Amino acid sequence: MRMYEGLFLLDNAHASLEWDTVVKHIHDILQKYGAEILKTEKWGEKKLAYKIKGHKRGTYLLIHFNAKHSAITTIKRDFQLSDYIIRSLIVKDDKIEELSQTVPVEGAAEKTVDKIPEPAEKNLPEEADLSRKTADTV
Amino acid sequence: MTKRMFNKTSKCRFCRMGVGEVDYKDSQNLPKLTTSQGKLFSRKRSGNCARHQHSVKTSIKRARFMALLPYVA
Repeated sequence: MRMYEGLFLLDNAHASLEWDTVVKHIHDILQKYGAEILKTEKWGEKKLAYKIKGHKRGTYLLIHFNAKHSAITTIKRDFQLSDYIIRSLIVKDDKIEELSQTVPVEGAAEKTVDKIPEPAEKNLPEEADLSRKTADTV
Repeated sequence: MTKRMFNKTSKCRFCRMGVGEVDYKDSQNLPKLTTSQGKLFSRKRSGNCARHQHSVKTSIKRARFMALLPYVA
């Protein structure tokens, strides 16, 4: 298990009317593959920098979760097949950052930030680039 | 004595601020590292060190994918 951060761009037509359903839909997909959701944040509606499939605006949702690396491929595929999600991005993360202007989603399970990925997994060479958020500055 | 110049403060803005990795979600500061067209500034122009320039490159590309930044403006 290690920590990931997923940013989802949601269809406004669904997100504005049935927000709870959309959030639950995403949580269900994650939990189906044994992911453990740590934090869910709504960024709110934003104008997109360019049109995606005819959409000019979209709602962003940021989710931090723990998952097995082998499950990520299937999770990504399921998100691509979903109707609610226009685009999604999943990246490795080692810490949850506080974003001041964002509002936590009501109803979504919000847990504390003391889940840190195991240090044994940090030593893999391919993860070296992304896991250097620790304070070894110049 | 040979002339030796020492910069006390780093030229790289991220080193000065003590940032480890640049975040792709930081949509307020990332546009400062691109031209008005949306192209990345060169390392010479931005003054970033190698490590942070790599990091900036990755985060701008991620931000573009999520439509936070334009590919072409």
